[in-house]
Amino acid sequence: MTSLSATLAEPQSFSLVEKLLFLLLVAASGVLFWRRFGPILRKILHSRKDPDFHLSPIGRRVWDFFWEVICQAKVIQQRPLPGLAHAFVFWGFCAFALVTLNHAAVGLGIGFLDPASWIGRTYFYLADAFAIACAVGIFGLFVRRFLVRPRWLGSKVSWESGFIAGLIFVLMVTYLGAFFTTDAAPTARILWWIHTLTLLIFLPLIPHTKHLHLVLSPATIFLSRDGFSQIPPLVGDEDFGLVTGKDLTQLVSLQAYSCVECGRCSEHCPATNTGKLLNPKEIILGVRAYLNEFGPASDEQLLGKHNSQEAVFQCTTCGACEFQCPVGIEHLPIMIGLRRGAVNTGAWENDYGGKLFNQLERGSNALGISALERDKFIQKTELPIFDGTQEYCLWLGCMGGYDPKGREIIASFARVMNYLGTSYGVLKKEKCTGDPVRRLGNDLLFQQLAEENLKALAQNKVKKIVSICPHCVRTIQEDWKAYGTPPEIEHHSEFMARFAGRLPKQKSDEKVVFHDPCYLGRYRNVYDEPRELVQLSATLVEAPRHRERSFCCGAGGGLAFLGEETGERVSHVRAQELVATGASTVGTACPFCNTMFRDALAASEKPPQLLDIAQLVARGLPPVAPTSNGVSKA
Amino acid sequence: MKIIVAIKQVPERDAHIRIDSSGKWIEESDVQYAMNESDAYALEEALQLREKHSGEVIVVSAGPERVGTTIREALAKGADRAIHIDCNDLNQRDALGVARLIADAIRPDNADLILTGLQSDDLGYGQTGVILAELLGVPHATLILHVEKTDAGLKVKRELEAGFFQEIELPLPAALTIQSGGNKLRYATLMGIKKAKTKEMRVVTAAALDGAPVAVLDGIAHPKKQRSTQIIPGDAKQAAATLVEKLKFEARIL
Repeated sequence: MTSLSATLAEPQSFSLVEKLLFLLLVAASGVLFWRRFGPILRKILHSRKDPDFHLSPIGRRVWDFFWEVICQAKVIQQRPLPGLAHAFVFWGFCAFALVTLNHAAVGLGIGFLDPASWIGRTYFYLADAFAIACAVGIFGLFVRRFLVRPRWLGSKVSWESGFIAGLIFVLMVTYLGAFFTTDAAPTARILWWIHTLTLLIFLPLIPHTKHLHLVLSPATIFLSRDGFSQIPPLVGDEDFGLVTGKDLTQLVSLQAYSCVECGRCSEHCPATNTGKLLNPKEIILGVRAYLNEFGPASDEQLLGKHNSQEAVFQCTTCGACEFQCPVGIEHLPIMIGLRRGAVNTGAWENDYGGKLFNQLERGSNALGISALERDKFIQKTELPIFDGTQEYCLWLGCMGGYDPKGREIIASFARVMNYLGTSYGVLKKEKCTGDPVRRLGNDLLFQQLAEENLKALAQNKVKKIVSICPHCVRTIQEDWKAYGTPPEIEHHSEFMARFAGRLPKQKSDEKVVFHDPCYLGRYRNVYDEPRELVQLSATLVEAPRHRERSFCCGAGGGLAFLGEETGERVSHVRAQELVATGASTVGTACPFCNTMFRDALAASEKPPQLLDIAQLVARGLPPVAPTSNGVSKA
Repeated sequence: MKIIVAIKQVPERDAHIRIDSSGKWIEESDVQYAMNESDAYALEEALQLREKHSGEVIVVSAGPERVGTTIREALAKGADRAIHIDCNDLNQRDALGVARLIADAIRPDNADLILTGLQSDDLGYGQTGVILAELLGVPHATLILHVEKTDAGLKVKRELEAGFFQEIELPLPAALTIQSGGNKLRYATLMGIKKAKTKEMRVVTAAALDGAPVAVLDGIAHPKKQRSTQIIPGDAKQAAATLVEKLKFEARIL
């Protein structure tokens, strides 16, 4: 460290030639920057306006900006070491804003921050600390990229990143070096010029490289949509989703140019991790490549040269990418937007998908089973019919109404509700909420299903719904809003957790590993409730990837209905991870996860038992006479 | 090739059926409707023929106003235009009466090929298509799984019993009744629905057409539920032999 007496050396009295040369270089650097940045900015601004964009509520935006940009919270939280290194570089840059401004002013003889004054001295010392942290940080990132080489950064070594890391390092060293010399010494002048040239080389490189995120990502984070996987409405008769460049909105284009290629999305993507074609990073970079080649006014298909239909339809919509992205890219609206473009125009031809759509055009459920089977199940299980007097409508969903395992979950949850004395009933008729078709991008069918269901719920005067399926919960609460006002809805884990105090508690050594369903966790932020319920009767263990970082079961995004996957099965990878925890029971909270693991766990040597949280809770209840259906209100 | 597809709107497969107070028809208010399944395959066949050989696909459907949704679905899937025969008493007309309505409505179009599903999922007469052929004076073939256009006319594949097929050739114009499952159905798309809005849907009233019924529907009834569980006595070997016997000669499924 510098001794306290040392001050920042600033070369004095630049000659006119030096001043002119400096101004010329600044202008050249600025022009080079703008020649690349200008067209990018125009491409973003000339994209279609986002139909649902509102600046309000502004508080949320300010908070996101503060937390994710200023505090670098997500950058650090999700990858602590490199995240911290990045944060040091970022904070260093912030602290350097004033230093750099003064540095340039000195070159023109109008320096405003006197290193000898106490303000200048304090600020420059403060900047010292940042400079050291920044230099250490950038050195660490350099080592990571070129020596550690995590595979998520891509197989190609990015020399430009190394060069820019070098530039940043030089900036810091030349700043720190100026504390060890005097104003008059030639070293001061040399350091000043090296610092200046480094800056002026750095500037035009920004828009040419992923360092464009320096300029764009603060705006991207500030302008990002409210809520997770917000799928924008289709507007007018010509909007079918993302079909051609004309459909790219300003937010999509901004996000495409903001990608910093860190690969966090790929690192957590179930498709990328099981050898599929899909890589979320490449989807975003594909949109960017499209914009570079064709621009936002092009009639060229988006699914073509730069992005493939096959990849887009391998997405489970688990949302790990969108959750992880540190620069505010919203992958799901883009992924689903591209699917909408393909499905709404009939370009997607898939035997399984076509069958699913046809089944839902004519029938009531995604499994293609006669509704009479649901009636039989309701009778056999003695589920009360909703007649408008009960407090809750128990939504069965396709899995709860038709799938054998799903029915067991419903039966268990009904027992819990009976025990609690909750008044509830099930609808005589129900249709699929439209979750799989919504995620697959079939807006026509989704609208039909949403409207029919909304009508039926209104006719039955349903005020509150409880469901065992996180997909139903999400679709009813968020996606149906486009077509009406859905009743209040909660997931059965939230419902039961509210009554946890009244549920039987019998601690045991049984180890239960809880698998966070994507649509309950990342989509709904419900992590603690199911864990609380597991701990009523067992000891909770965690899989390596849990809570926000949970790894998908492979069923989401309509993929449960699309037949065999290419590469490794997502469900098997996750099931192995759950088995490896040594737990004797796998706890789930989603009937789709349940059905995926049912098959996947069977492949393991000594499969643990598989239970929904409703089943975990219900097994502790006292046995009841089979005829009781306990509809009395507590 | 100008192809006409006659489609029918029927109660949805999962519909809960109640008989109305007249005892002659079902309570329509609590039923949702869909395109008759084999008609959907007839439409698919027509669309594929048009895609291969160009031409025009016209759909025709008889029934009350609600039939419009099924017609629009057909237009959304790709039919070029539609004729709606507006009539409120479709279910009281026999197959001859309905075929007469359709024949009168489509005669001016002089189509090369007329397709229908092989039967309706509600009344299931299986007659309308063949009577239609007779009324129009064209040859017909039934239970068709595959249609191929040849220089002389058509080569079609019929489904027979017990996994047998028959291939026959017939000249155009002709009428075919289509079996389900021959093709993969396309799904309706948002773009299709938007385009359908601008397509022609001509409405003709049944009164203007000739469609007097000969057979009169007397009443309808739910099938009686029969549950006859039999416990077969004896040891496993004996019981299995009896079971096979019963499956062969009583249930006739072996």
